[in-house]
Amino acid sequence: MKSANTRAMVALVIGAVLTLAAFIGTFFWAAVPDYGTVSQPKYSFSARHPEAIDERLAHDYIGNRVGYEVEVVTDEGTVTGTLVAAEPKEGSGDGADAVMLATVATASGEQTIEVTKDDEVTAQIYNYGKPDWGQKIFYFHVPIAEISFIVFAVAAYFSVRFIMTRKREYDTKSRIAMELTMTFVALTMATGILWTKAAWGVWWQWEPRLTTYFIMTLLVVAYFVLRNSVEDEERRALYAAAFSILAFIDAPISFFITRLIPSTHPVIESGGLQPPMLITFIIAQIGMLFVGYAIYRLRMGEMELRDRIERAKTELEG
Amino acid sequence: MASASGRQFRAILRKDIVMELRTKEMLMSMGLYALLTMVVYFVALSQAGSEFDPRTIAAGLLWLAFIFTSLLGLNRSLVHEKDQGCLEALLLSPVDRPVIFFAKVVGNLTFLLIVEALTIPVFAFLFLQGHALESGAFSLVPLVMVAGSIGISGIGTLLATMSVNTSGKDFVLAMLFIPLVYPLLLGAVTATNAAIVGGPDAMMVFWQGMAWVAGYDVVMLLASYGLYEFIVGA
Amino acid sequence: MKETGHTDTALEVRDLTRAFGVRKALDGVSFDLPRRAFLSVFGPNGAGKTTLIKVLTTLLNPTSGTARVLGLDVVDDAVEMRQRIGLISHNPLLYPDLTAEENLLFFAEMYGIDRPAGRVNELLEAVELDHRRLDLTRTFSRGMLQRLSIARALLHRPEVLFLDEPYSGLDPHAMDILDGLIAQVRNDHTFVMISHDLDKGLELCSHALILARGKVVLFEPREAIDEGAFRATYRSTVGMGVS
Repeated sequence: MKSANTRAMVALVIGAVLTLAAFIGTFFWAAVPDYGTVSQPKYSFSARHPEAIDERLAHDYIGNRVGYEVEVVTDEGTVTGTLVAAEPKEGSGDGADAVMLATVATASGEQTIEVTKDDEVTAQIYNYGKPDWGQKIFYFHVPIAEISFIVFAVAAYFSVRFIMTRKREYDTKSRIAMELTMTFVALTMATGILWTKAAWGVWWQWEPRLTTYFIMTLLVVAYFVLRNSVEDEERRALYAAAFSILAFIDAPISFFITRLIPSTHPVIESGGLQPPMLITFIIAQIGMLFVGYAIYRLRMGEMELRDRIERAKTELEG
Repeated sequence: MASASGRQFRAILRKDIVMELRTKEMLMSMGLYALLTMVVYFVALSQAGSEFDPRTIAAGLLWLAFIFTSLLGLNRSLVHEKDQGCLEALLLSPVDRPVIFFAKVVGNLTFLLIVEALTIPVFAFLFLQGHALESGAFSLVPLVMVAGSIGISGIGTLLATMSVNTSGKDFVLAMLFIPLVYPLLLGAVTATNAAIVGGPDAMMVFWQGMAWVAGYDVVMLLASYGLYEFIVGA
Repeated sequence: MKETGHTDTALEVRDLTRAFGVRKALDGVSFDLPRRAFLSVFGPNGAGKTTLIKVLTTLLNPTSGTARVLGLDVVDDAVEMRQRIGLISHNPLLYPDLTAEENLLFFAEMYGIDRPAGRVNELLEAVELDHRRLDLTRTFSRGMLQRLSIARALLHRPEVLFLDEPYSGLDPHAMDILDGLIAQVRNDHTFVMISHDLDKGLELCSHALILARGKVVLFEPREAIDEGAFRATYRSTVGMGVS
């Protein structure tokens, strides 16, 4: 018992130190060659008002980067320079391909590029000229989001074990993993909403990642609602296990089906991260994992203590 | 054994239908609830102006009505099993648990489809008149309706079996059910919308939505079938 | 090695434990009951009586230990066993929106009974409900429900009958009818009855068992029981003057 707690505390300290290191790293190291790739995926289809959605999409991607140096790659070639303006094209929609006009100040003067609906448009943003504070949250938001999926998987795994064995320890483990999922989901939501405001100018958008994540949050909340509304201990454990398995199956389906809505959420491209960013990111990720593990161990220790008290009580009763 | 299971399956289904025809509990409450939803829709759209074409949101409104009426019905369907401990008697008989599950799913599906089949014309009568359905794909809507309802009654039967044993049955069922059917709902609304509104890509979108719904049905029915035995015996 | 049904023991319970975490509903219960015996199970609330019946009727699986009914294991041979046991509970276990006849026919289908109509008629007559066969059981009195519930339990000619406080909530007349029905089938059935009523339980039983905190406090055949000592033991398990 004691050694388990010691281990948990050690993990907590390591995790905290790593996370703190990553935090400092984002400002003093990874910040310097601030470089990122934002790519616009091929447009998703929509049977209704395609033009309106595409305008919004294009604006979210490129319109927010006015004042930055960009590299716009289209079919006709590559243009590098400072983005001066990004306007929806007049009269776009009725069969017209171009939905947006991006004006870029290049060395040889201003150039206006037609951003077309069916093209894959990549806007590479580098040498921001000013620090992109919004981007800092990436080092926390992404690791936390990844861990939330990992602990969710752990919870589902213990739920399967519980249904097979009916041993209460697996129910406890599954529940604690679910509590962790709840914590990380809440943190991901909080950091995500802050970033959405900074990058997209709105607090919330019904966008695939956000929507999926919102559904996942509801599933985790539902898990605890279910737990709290069942009286019998074993029945509660069985129901909770069954539901967490269903939720775990549902989450990826939700994730993929949301492709039916066009997306503006950035995706990290392979090789898109420069070493300083990558290393900082990995350190933050490992740090968070340690913190997660530590919380898990501490909660388990607490549950084991509760069990001992219960056992002592029953023995005293005779 | 297979024929014994078939006999039990038919017996449970027949019993549920006889009881429903006698009490009309599910059909009446679901049907009237759907009608009430239409009134709320009218109020919600009352300020939209004459420019607004209700067809653009018809798919969403229809599925909204379906999802809430089905919640109501699913809740009812398990309550009478619990009433006098009948479920216990059912479990005591030499019946394989999946037989109970599939009989219940088919029963719920039947009642759901009846109510939905009545809701669609009422909805079209109240909201879609005067807006010519020139796309001509409206006849595909029942297809989405059936595919969507299979998933709803599959997962719903399992969840209702749980929620009937909880305090605050209705709320717990809604809380478990709505996030879980989100993928199905999105696929169904996409397909229904493509069928109602039409457009150049409509058929492609329609079948893509249908594929999602069908995939969800298969996955969730299998999962529910696998988990039902543990849930119903608890 | 399945000696299905050819043993003389109706119940064979070995070290039966049913636990979830630290709470044990049944804690190492062991006993043997011969065929055609009548076992009365006594014990205070929460002693594990209902859990015991649920395990023996395959509704719950034991955590450890084994239980055999008619030589059939409650876990491995559950489906086969359900064909040969019946339960009469204080809950009628009948659908209120079906008629008496429909209820019995439904359960006859579930048990795969041949020519169900004949069997149902026979039982409706036996429990004196044939004149109410077309009425919804919703309209039945408590006593009538209990009679119908007995008919339901006897449909498939079970060899072992479990009775979970069958007398609770019955008026004296209904109790007499129930007594009569039990007496009719008493000789070719094995009975296991949970009861709070010490007099009734002792009057009917051939064996008595007292459970407390999931453990067997006493298990003896009726002949060996000294009533005074038995009552004292029972009272000690109930404790503090509650009876």
